[in-house]
Amino acid sequence: MRPFSLARPRSLGDALRLLGPDTTAMAGGTDLLGLMKAGVAEPERIVDLTQVEDLQGWQRERGKGVRIGALTPLAELESSEELRRVLPILPASLADAATPQLRAMGTVGGNLLQRNRCWYYRDDAFECWLKGGSRCFAREGEHQYHAVVGARECIIASPSDLAPALIALDATVELRSARAARELGVQELFVVPHGSQRREHSIRPGEVIVSVRVPEAALARAGAFAKQMDRKAWSFALVSVAASARLKGGVARDLRIVLGGVAPVPWRAGAAEAFLEGRALDEAACARAGALALEGAEPLPQNAYKVPLAGELVRRTLLSLAQ
Amino acid sequence: MPDRPSGPTGAFAGPGPADVALEVNGRPVALRVPPHRTLLDALREDLGLTGTKKVCDEGTCGACTVLVDGRAIYSCMTLAHSCAGRQVETVEGLGRDGTLHPVQQAFIDHDAFQCGFCTPGQVMSIVGLLRENDAPTAEEVTRAVTGNLCRCGAYPNIVAAGVAAAKKQR
Amino acid sequence: MSRIVRTTVEIEGRMSDELALVDGKDLPGWTGETTIVGARTPRVDGAQRVTGRARYTHDLQLPGMLHARFLRSPHARARVDRVDASRALTAPGVRAVLHRFNAPKAAFRGEETIFRAEVRFVGDEVAAVCADTAEAADAALRLIEVDYEVLPHVVDLEDAIAEGAPRLEEKGNVSVSGSHSRGDAKRALEQAAIVVDRTYRTSTQLHNSLETHGAVAHWDGERLTVWESTQHVFGVRQGLQAALALPYSKLRVICDYMGGGFGSKGGIGKYTIVAALFARMTGAPVRCVLTREEENLAAGNRSATLQRVRVGWKRGRISGLEHLSWSNSGQGRWVADPTGPTNTLYDVKDLSTKSYRVVTNAGALSAFRAPGYLEGTFALECALDELADRAGVDPLELRRKHHARTDGVMKVRYTQKRLLECYDIGAEAIGWSKRKPGGTRGSTPQRRRGMGMASQIWFGGGGPPAYATVHLNPDGTAVVRSGTQEIGTGTRTILAQICAEELGVRVGDVRVEIGDTDAPYGPISAGSLTAASVGPAVRLAAADAREQLLGAASGLMEVRKTELRVEGGKIVSKGARKPIKEIFDELQNYTVIGKGSRHPNPAKVSLNTFGAHFVLLEVDTGTGEIFIEKIVAVHDIGRIVNPMTAASQVEGGVIQALGFALTEERVLDRRSGRVLNADLEEYKVPTVRDVPPIVVRFTDVPDTKANNLGVKGLGEPPIIPTAAAIANAIANATGARVRTTPMTPRRVLAALAERER
Repeated sequence: MRPFSLARPRSLGDALRLLGPDTTAMAGGTDLLGLMKAGVAEPERIVDLTQVEDLQGWQRERGKGVRIGALTPLAELESSEELRRVLPILPASLADAATPQLRAMGTVGGNLLQRNRCWYYRDDAFECWLKGGSRCFAREGEHQYHAVVGARECIIASPSDLAPALIALDATVELRSARAARELGVQELFVVPHGSQRREHSIRPGEVIVSVRVPEAALARAGAFAKQMDRKAWSFALVSVAASARLKGGVARDLRIVLGGVAPVPWRAGAAEAFLEGRALDEAACARAGALALEGAEPLPQNAYKVPLAGELVRRTLLSLAQ
Repeated sequence: MPDRPSGPTGAFAGPGPADVALEVNGRPVALRVPPHRTLLDALREDLGLTGTKKVCDEGTCGACTVLVDGRAIYSCMTLAHSCAGRQVETVEGLGRDGTLHPVQQAFIDHDAFQCGFCTPGQVMSIVGLLRENDAPTAEEVTRAVTGNLCRCGAYPNIVAAGVAAAKKQR
Repeated sequence: MSRIVRTTVEIEGRMSDELALVDGKDLPGWTGETTIVGARTPRVDGAQRVTGRARYTHDLQLPGMLHARFLRSPHARARVDRVDASRALTAPGVRAVLHRFNAPKAAFRGEETIFRAEVRFVGDEVAAVCADTAEAADAALRLIEVDYEVLPHVVDLEDAIAEGAPRLEEKGNVSVSGSHSRGDAKRALEQAAIVVDRTYRTSTQLHNSLETHGAVAHWDGERLTVWESTQHVFGVRQGLQAALALPYSKLRVICDYMGGGFGSKGGIGKYTIVAALFARMTGAPVRCVLTREEENLAAGNRSATLQRVRVGWKRGRISGLEHLSWSNSGQGRWVADPTGPTNTLYDVKDLSTKSYRVVTNAGALSAFRAPGYLEGTFALECALDELADRAGVDPLELRRKHHARTDGVMKVRYTQKRLLECYDIGAEAIGWSKRKPGGTRGSTPQRRRGMGMASQIWFGGGGPPAYATVHLNPDGTAVVRSGTQEIGTGTRTILAQICAEELGVRVGDVRVEIGDTDAPYGPISAGSLTAASVGPAVRLAAADAREQLLGAASGLMEVRKTELRVEGGKIVSKGARKPIKEIFDELQNYTVIGKGSRHPNPAKVSLNTFGAHFVLLEVDTGTGEIFIEKIVAVHDIGRIVNPMTAASQVEGGVIQALGFALTEERVLDRRSGRVLNADLEEYKVPTVRDVPPIVVRFTDVPDTKANNLGVKGLGEPPIIPTAAAIANAIANATGARVRTTPMTPRRVLAALAERER
């Protein structure tokens, strides 16, 4: 790991002031330090945000939904009995995320901003398109874990389990920099790498995620989450699915079906959502929605299995939503 | 010009060695290490506490598990400087006056290791669990050591040891 | 009195005729009940391991210790035309740099130098830096300039076999490494009513011992002491002797605790030589320990295989069996032959097997727990089930019917073979009678349930040379010394038990000192041979010590020796029990040294271990996920010395087999030759949650012809049949046959789709 300077501010103001050029914000460090050890990231200065006050913990705010501090450890959300009652798909999405140690270290903001797991990206010997090169080595090489839909020059698969769950809840992120504050839908935080956008997130230099908010309306929605791995634990998703809907008299409205592991960003299954709007979530409808989930998929030889797998997982998730 | 220690004002320290004060196994420890020094390297190289093992050095195997403020974490993915003012516990800090901690004893009684290289990490994960949950089920012990790989395959005995240790400790 | 005997030595299935030196006469087996041997005994080194006090090679910190790191080839194949280390040498903390243009000759695995002119895989050693810290050495690596002339390469097994592949060796990429035939397989297959002709593939498995390969070398001007994480301290000494041309008197190798080897730590590595060379150059201790990535590039692997099995069926019996196998040996010079089990596991008259080595630009293979046998058993036992399915017979019945009472290759009987009993025990424990052809319904609408089994044969008889001494202290405690190793199997504990049993003291009064070439020779801890090789020598040493003790006690007590015995640390005579210490108080100091050596194995018989695994599982036909409910592992390894550690070893073998079967696969990028998952994230070893309930059973009948303990080895048997049993259970459950390991959701889904076509 290349040596760097480190600051550990206590206040958000100090943190934002310190985040100048060549400076990287660090939360739990579980992703950043890995990239640095691999030689893929080499920041000169790091601002450790874990001491910053007011970025930890979550609260239910009357009429305004749930606010989660960006530095809240994933373990805190996963193990919260109260959150399990209020927003069950959030703890469910974290139950199989990484390992207990990583959930104790990793934070909500860090999880959303984690970089992809492409083995070519993470090997500094490959000058891949995302790192400024001209080729996607995975497309021509080993891509069993890579994206099957929505990819352009780069076929990374979105690794977060939490992001699909938050998007299914219409969550937003609050971003702050020394100069400005803005709010984005969680979906808008993610960028399909393409053209001049050789990046995965829309966060700007100097900005940090301060909090994540789930709107009040989402609290009334039913939710379900499923993740398929190729080991029983401690694997990134082959496919993950988060779904939510308003259910009334067996009929689903305002559906959100979001997949992880299939596209460079958390993938909204728009056609499936539209098909199900106003329908009962019965076997046939859920199966049809599963078939529609990855409409437009362009799988490669080694990852074609993800298409039927995603369809099946969507079908099951929707059925469990109805129960 | 000497580097300034990282302080409450949040000025930058490093990239050279800088002071950091933490607590290790109940004793105050003052280190002077660069910011990129991991807690794992600080424990093993600077403090000679080699019970904590380096296996993957990238947060995937759990052999370097220690407790920081009572929670099991990977010391290879934690900066020593990020532990300023915190309490670090390693396998060397378990047990008192030559007697073994109940988890350590249960590992022996249940043959919960073979080569033993993952053992300190497994033990720390279970010690961390028992701090929060003094009557874990086998499933809860299993979940607690999900991030601790054992290549010899002592898993069934590790879970049995965790459950037995909890019973004994109560 | 010592004498030379000629004996057949088998290590990992490779036979050779050797001479061995043995002492005195062997003992007959124990006749009565043993009280310590056979009892569940917690590990004698447990406290060291659970407290973190156990000192592994990685943990060694010597005053003034320097650190060595390798520069490794980024190319799969290239000529190293120039190495310029001048900038590295001026970097802070750097002491020395070695590379092909300045390193002294050092013989290693048939080559004269450790830095090749032509590097042949990504990770091949190009140069080494010695510096004050590992970090300084790492930084200096980046300052070494190397001119490479990149050459055409091939890393994949099937690519290397294909026409037009870059030719890596003069003779070509493929060479025959072994064959066996009896009867006329070709004709038998032609005449068969049914022929199953299938191709199976197994992927490269990486050992991923948690402690990476590494050594610390210290040259004190007189003698070179090397601490190494190894399965064979004497092998390391021999390797150093050859590499550095030092006399044995100047070499000492120590391995106190080691964090796993699984076959990969059988001798020195280039890191050993580099540590030793730098130690000699600098006069300081030098540590050279591999990173996880280096471990997975350059420290061995289980070869990927491509296997074709043809097996015929006629009038209720197997009619002809042919097994062809190609192994990706990488840059290794041998083959872990997968056809071994086919040659001996069943009573088949007409049989033909052939195994090929395929050279590629990947890291060399090394032995990996039952090398070849795991891979070959997967193909053989899957093919037999496919045959049983086609013939409409119960797969277990088919195996019973072809039970081999003699060794089909050596044409001799087995000292003991209780495989049929393993079948009975396993079938009962899994509920085989409930197995239905075509499987049964699972616990959810999309799950199917099935059962499968597979058999196993392995070696494990051990043999000479192996020596031990037992030193007896005046207080009645004893020290066992042997140059064997504790690799996690419980060697210290079983040797303490054997010594205590024979000597008549308690286990707690025996200390076992091993892992040091200053002790009597001990063999490599591999090939399931430690218990059966070192154990009998320890028993003889303990008996010798006891006889000397009783002789002395007889004089002091004025009682005839024949009226004395030792029991529970006390000398027992008619009507009296006195602690050893009391009797010997008068002598103040003395040393009784008992000596023991391993005697030869019986001639004209085969010594093997057997077993069978049974699996009950469900397959999710929608996701391809496998849910194993239960694995029953039954093994016939003679007497069980320690039921506790033996059960652990079986569980460990089964769990490592689960990785091979379901999750573990080295992924290589064909274009660059780089390993894409040389880590513990994408290379997926089983986690605790991947482990189903495992039922362990032993026949536990001493093999009295084998050796004076009646024991055989257990390291390898339990990894062998699991993968095949799982594949067979998947096929039973779903009708889909997965012929490639690991059987990931992706491959299970593909097999299910193929079934539907």
